[in-house]
Amino acid sequence: MKEITEQIQTIAARLFEEGKIDIFIAWEQGELDFQTKAYVARSKEDAKNLVFNEYAIYNTANMLLKFRDGHERIGIAVKGCDSRGIVRLLEDLQIKRERLYIVGIPCPGLKDPLAAARNYGGFNRQTEPDSLAGKCLECIQPNPVICDEIIGPEQSPRQQGDRFARVKEMEQMTPDERYDFWEKTLSTCIRCYACRQVCVACDCRTCIFDEMKPQWVGRESSTTDNMMYHLVKHAHMAGRCIECGECERVCPVNIPLMLLNQKLIKDVGAFYGGPEAGLQYVEGAKPPLSVYRIDDPDSFL
Amino acid sequence: MKVLNKSKLIEALNVLSSQQEVFVPIQRESQSGYFSWADYQPERDELMLEALNVYQSPKNVVLPQTERMYGIISQGMEVDIDQTFEDAHPTLIFGARGCDVKGILAMDEVFLTRGFVDSFYQARRANNTIVANACYAPGPNCFCTAMEVDPVEPVGADVIIHDCGDYYAWEARTGKGEAVTAQLDGLLEDKEVKLPSAQPFQLQVDYQGVAEKLKDMFDHSLWDQMAEPCINCGMCTYVCPSCYCFDIQVKMFGEKGYRFRAWDSCMFEEYTREAGGGNPRGASKERFRQRFLHKLEFFQERYGTPLCTGCGRCIIVCPTDVNIARIIKAVKEAEVE
Repeated sequence: MKEITEQIQTIAARLFEEGKIDIFIAWEQGELDFQTKAYVARSKEDAKNLVFNEYAIYNTANMLLKFRDGHERIGIAVKGCDSRGIVRLLEDLQIKRERLYIVGIPCPGLKDPLAAARNYGGFNRQTEPDSLAGKCLECIQPNPVICDEIIGPEQSPRQQGDRFARVKEMEQMTPDERYDFWEKTLSTCIRCYACRQVCVACDCRTCIFDEMKPQWVGRESSTTDNMMYHLVKHAHMAGRCIECGECERVCPVNIPLMLLNQKLIKDVGAFYGGPEAGLQYVEGAKPPLSVYRIDDPDSFL
Repeated sequence: MKVLNKSKLIEALNVLSSQQEVFVPIQRESQSGYFSWADYQPERDELMLEALNVYQSPKNVVLPQTERMYGIISQGMEVDIDQTFEDAHPTLIFGARGCDVKGILAMDEVFLTRGFVDSFYQARRANNTIVANACYAPGPNCFCTAMEVDPVEPVGADVIIHDCGDYYAWEARTGKGEAVTAQLDGLLEDKEVKLPSAQPFQLQVDYQGVAEKLKDMFDHSLWDQMAEPCINCGMCTYVCPSCYCFDIQVKMFGEKGYRFRAWDSCMFEEYTREAGGGNPRGASKERFRQRFLHKLEFFQERYGTPLCTGCGRCIIVCPTDVNIARIIKAVKEAEVE
């Protein structure tokens, strides 16, 4: 990964020198090994701070939302999942393709800095295993789907076995069992909205949960309001979730949020077909469930 | 000194639980926080008294995340309050660390002093007793002593217990503490004890002069840099033992409903949104800055103590590695014109 770091630094420095970009988004090394986080370089000198290492898991595409209203020309390093996030933002017209210079990194699978932080922090009696992050073990697209330049050899998907096994297990439950499961699971939510904030597909300018007139979802941390929050959020993700797994990774109470997203991925695939969210970028193309037509053949809605 | 043998811990918790609701640090499946001992199920729950701490602080015992305040009946333009939900049932927090006790003391300042008394908080706090668990081995993200906390003899504790291996040395500090001690009559023994020695802190934080210096740093470029990775989720504020901000809202079902308050977070855009739609803290950086100025400057100015208690929770859970200890250091080192 040292070579990848060197190449990112070289490419970013070159782009700054050629005057092609104003900022470059990738990762920087924090104090401790596992403290790798998103970083915005603003000059050739800053480019020396860029790194790619086994903890560079944060989805850089999410950082683009901070710059969507600006005019900066942006260099950005992306892994497979991050690149799908970029496709999502392009499809939603959140950022223009010509503002971006995308440097792709075929991803070997990474570790979760939050799991490492918890192991290090001393609050957990049992430490979590120091292995690849759960989301990386489920990865179907380690290679960038859109980029201007690519660093390193292609990687193979790490997902093995039946991708939807957990979903199918859930589908086998009776409605009552399923309801009990989700009621119990979602009642633990503390409503910190980290799952929303870290989600690149959550690019609405005003989120429905922040609207006050009317207030669509109550603010109580009760089972009812929590379920309303999660079900509405995930229904919004149908056909949009790029499966980067960040929501589940950051959840402080470990709610299996990707189980809901995977169910939707499976259903959208079955009902509408076509490539999954963010897997390919065709200019002007709209993913399922994101087009409104007054002559829609379905009378519901 | 009185001691509680660890072999009698469960019995002691049962006895205490028969007199008041007892909250203990528990790992409950994926959750880690203070839960009622009455709901303890050994196959699901793990008592965490010997761990450094749990992720959710005991602040919810005195300031629940959601709490009903009063019931409403509306008829036409008339509104009647038909009941209030003041909750004065006796509670006991068992095993809180000094940082978390300090968090509750900070909330006492807010809700009980300066002529503003919050009756809901007062009712709960007046009937709340704290058994603190002296902390001799700080973790890698702990810096409570830098934030005016004594981890071994925390101010505000009614009883302090000291983990001495096979038993807890038991030290009542207040009248409330004596009352709880009396409940355990027959379970506590007298014994000569040797208290553990305190381990050094791994993290060095120097808060001296930070509040003063921050007065001139509102527009400092440090905030742009520090806030850049922050995604404005509310995780830090919700795991924080001293973040007390709340919102009051109404839920109506036809003509009947209730008013409730729920934790709110300065990290959220709607927190400062005004009725007309304007927002003085519309930008992410402004909300980020507010959180740290409140913790390190504003509270110090008003109440003479910082609002951060050095527990290190936000450092561990932050998805983007925002680190308040690093921010204090950066403020110390920053050049101010």
